[in-house]
Amino acid sequence: MSTPSEVLAARILKRLSAEKLLTEDDEKKLAAKMAAGKLRPEDWRLAVEKAAEKGAKP
Amino acid sequence: MSTSALKKLTIEHLRGSVMPFSLPFEKGKRLTVVYGENGTGKSTICDAFEFLGKGNVGSLDNRGLGKTNRYWHSLGKKPTDVSVTFETATATCRAAVGKSEVVVMPPEHRPRVEVLRRNQILSLIEAKPAERYAAISRFIDVSGIEASEGCLRELIRDTKAGRDVAIARVLENREAIQQFWEEAGKPAADPLIWGESESKRDANAFDTEIKALSDLQAAYARLTDYPEQTGNAFTRLKETQDSLDTAQKAIDQSLAGVSADATEIVSILESAKIYFSKHSNLAVCPLCESAENVQGLSGRVNERIVAFAALLKANANKAQKEQDVHRANQQLELLQNSAKQHVESFSLCRKNDSLPVDISLPGPPVPENLSDWSTWLASNAHLPVEWKKAESTRQDKKQFLSTLKRAVKTCTENTLAQKELDALLPRLEQALEIAEEERRQFTDATLAKIATEVGRLYEVVHPDEGLNKISLELDPAKRASLEIGASFCGQSTSPQAYFSDSHLDTLGLCVFLALTALERPAETILVLDDILASVDEPHVERMIEMLYDEATKFRHCVITTHYRPWKQTLRWGWLQNGQCQFVELTKWTAVNGLTLVRTVPDVERLRQLLAETPPDPQLVCSKAGVILEAALDFITQLYECAVPRRPGGLYTLGDLLPAVDKKLRLALMVEVFSGVDASGIPTFKPVQLAPYIDELTRIAQARNVFGCHFTQLSFDLLDADALAFGQQVLELMSTLTDGDAGWPRNSKSGSYWATTGESRRLHPLKKPS
Repeated sequence: MSTPSEVLAARILKRLSAEKLLTEDDEKKLAAKMAAGKLRPEDWRLAVEKAAEKGAKP
Repeated sequence: MSTSALKKLTIEHLRGSVMPFSLPFEKGKRLTVVYGENGTGKSTICDAFEFLGKGNVGSLDNRGLGKTNRYWHSLGKKPTDVSVTFETATATCRAAVGKSEVVVMPPEHRPRVEVLRRNQILSLIEAKPAERYAAISRFIDVSGIEASEGCLRELIRDTKAGRDVAIARVLENREAIQQFWEEAGKPAADPLIWGESESKRDANAFDTEIKALSDLQAAYARLTDYPEQTGNAFTRLKETQDSLDTAQKAIDQSLAGVSADATEIVSILESAKIYFSKHSNLAVCPLCESAENVQGLSGRVNERIVAFAALLKANANKAQKEQDVHRANQQLELLQNSAKQHVESFSLCRKNDSLPVDISLPGPPVPENLSDWSTWLASNAHLPVEWKKAESTRQDKKQFLSTLKRAVKTCTENTLAQKELDALLPRLEQALEIAEEERRQFTDATLAKIATEVGRLYEVVHPDEGLNKISLELDPAKRASLEIGASFCGQSTSPQAYFSDSHLDTLGLCVFLALTALERPAETILVLDDILASVDEPHVERMIEMLYDEATKFRHCVITTHYRPWKQTLRWGWLQNGQCQFVELTKWTAVNGLTLVRTVPDVERLRQLLAETPPDPQLVCSKAGVILEAALDFITQLYECAVPRRPGGLYTLGDLLPAVDKKLRLALMVEVFSGVDASGIPTFKPVQLAPYIDELTRIAQARNVFGCHFTQLSFDLLDADALAFGQQVLELMSTLTDGDAGWPRNSKSGSYWATTGESRRLHPLKKPS
C-alpha cells in the first residue's frame, strides 16, 4: 500500500511533467526519491534543467 | 493480507480463558455481537483479537501495571501456555508468546486487527493537538515530500544568491573595463566591445619583446666590465714581467761572484751528489776514472754545493716569475677571447627581430680593440636606461592586458551565468509553487474526506441535530498539530467544550471508524469493546444501525456489549438493514472460564417446540403468542395503525389484531424470493397475509387459554387448536421475515418494504385509506 508521501509524490511529479518542468523519464525516476525526502537541490536542478533543455530543442 | 471469511477463534489460557474457549463465526455474517453481563469475558475475546493482530493486550494498558505481558496468561498458567488460534475459510494461524514478543505462525496469515475500547473512545477527541496529529499522521504524513520541497526551496535561495553574485560581478567587471578603456584613451565607442577586442590580443608578443630587451641589456652589461678587466690584466702582466726582470738581475749578481760557468758546475755537482747517494763505495772518480782523489770526494762535492746555494735560490725565484708571467699572459688571452664572445653575443642581441622598433641602438659596432671600448661604452651609456624603460612599459602593458582579459572573461562568464539563472529561477519557483499547492490540496482533501466521513457517521446517529459539520484542520502556525471542530448552535467551536459526554463518545467512535475505514478495511477485523455504554437511549438504535452498516466495509466486525436492549433488538432481528451473529456469554467461573450460550431466535424455538414429540401445547401457545405480538407490533407500527393508548405502551393481542383492519389485511401481501430465472432475474412467490391474520384472529383465544393462564377452558379445547395456533404463527413469520435478513423494514424501493437483499417484499408501502 502506498504511503501518503508516495501518493503525493506521484501527483506532484505528474503535474510538473505536464507543465514541462520535468521530463517524463524523471517523472518516474524521481518518485521514490521525492517520497523518501531524498531529492537533493542538485537533483532538482538537474531535472529542471534537463526538462528546459529538452523543451528548448525543436 | 487475507480477506477470507472468519471461521473460528480459539483462546487458550489468555486472561479469562482458563479453559480453551472457541468462538465460531456464522457463515455469511460479517458482524458478530457478543453480549454478556460484566465479568463474563467479553474483553478476553477482544484481547485475543488484539493479541493475534497486534501482539498486545490493550485492556490492561493504563492500569498502572507497567509492562503488562506478565499478566497476559490465566492465573495458574505460564506465558507459554497462552495460545490463540484463528481459523478462516482458507487458512489457520496461531499466536503464542515468544521470547520478547507475540509470534504468529505462519506470519502471512496474521490478520489485520483494529481495536477500540470503551476507555479509548475519547482518546482522540481529548488528546492534545500534537497527539491527535500523531494518530492521524499515517494518512496525511507527507514529511518526505516536505523534505524534498525544502531542498527545492534551498536551491531557489541559493540560485537567487548565485544570481545576485553574478549581477554584482558583471557590474564590478564592467566598471573595471570602463576604467581600462578610459585609461587607454577611450579608443572605441563601446568599452565592452573594445575590451573584448583587446582581450583577444596575444600576451606572448609582449613576452618576446621583454625577453629581447632583457637579453640586450644583459649582453650590454657584460661588455661594460671589460675595459676595467682588460686594464687589470695588462697591469698584472707588466708587474709579473717586471718581477721576472728583477729575478734575472739577482742571478746575474750571484754569478758575478762565481765562475762564469758556475751554473753548469752547480748542475754537475747536484748530479754528482745524487750519484754518490746511490754509489757509496767509489773506487774511482766517475768523470775522470782516476782513483787519485777519490778519497773524500763526496764530502768535497757537498761543500761546493753549499757554496753555490745563493745562485740556486736566484734561479728558483726566476723560474717562479717566469710562471707568473706565463699565467698573466694566459689570463689576458682568456679575457680577450671572452670579450670576443660577448661582443658576438651582443651583436646577435641587437640584431634580434623581436626588439621593438622604437628603441635606440648603438651606432658603430663594438670596437675590435679592447682599448677602444671605454670610449664606445661612454658614448652609449644612456641606452640601457632607455631599454629598461621600454621593458617596464611592456611589462605594464602585459599586466594591463592580463587584467583586462580577466575582467572581460569574468564579465562574460557572469553575464552568461546570470542569463542561465534568470531562465532557471522562474522554472524552479513554478515547480515549488506546484509542489506546495499539491501538498496543501492533498492534505486538505484527506482531512476533509475524514471530516466528511466523521460528519456522515455522526449524522446517522444524531440526525437533524445540526452537529454534523465536523472539521479537522492543521494549525498553520504549528507543525504536526491537528484541531478538531464542530458546529454547535450554528457556530463553529471545539466539540469538547459544548458537546455532552454521550455526544463526545459518539464523535470519538465516528472518528475511529472513519480513520479505520480509510486503511484497508476489507482486510481489517474491527473490534469494538463495550463502546455503547454511554450512548443514551434515543441514540442507541441508530448507533446499532450505523455500526451494522459500517461493519459491512470491514473483513469482519466484532462488537461486545452488556447493553440489554441490544440483546432484545438483535434477538428479534429488528435491524433495519440486515442481521448479525448474536452470541451470549454466561457467567464466568474460575473452573470453566468463558462459556458461550447458544441464543436460539424465538421463531426457531417455536419451530423446535412444534417438532417435539409430543409437543407441549402450553409452551407452543406461550411462545407463539409472544411472536405474534411482535409481528403485529411490527405491522401496526409500520402502517401507523390505531391502537388504544395506554401508559407504558403495553398492547395485547386483543388490541393489536383488530388494529390491522380489513382494508389493510386484504392489501397485505409478501413477495417471497424464490430464486432467479434463466436470464438471472429474481423471481418471487406472492403470499397474501390476510388468511393468516384472519385465522389467527379466530383462534387467538388459544393463546390466552393455553399459553398465559390456568383456566378450566383449556380442559375443553383440543391440543390441536393450540398447535394450529403455533403453526399459523410460524407460517406467518416464515412468510413475513427471513431468518438471515430479518424484517422488511427498508422502504428505499418507494413501493414496498424490503428485507436486506430483498428476500421479502412487503406490500403495500402505505396503509390504504
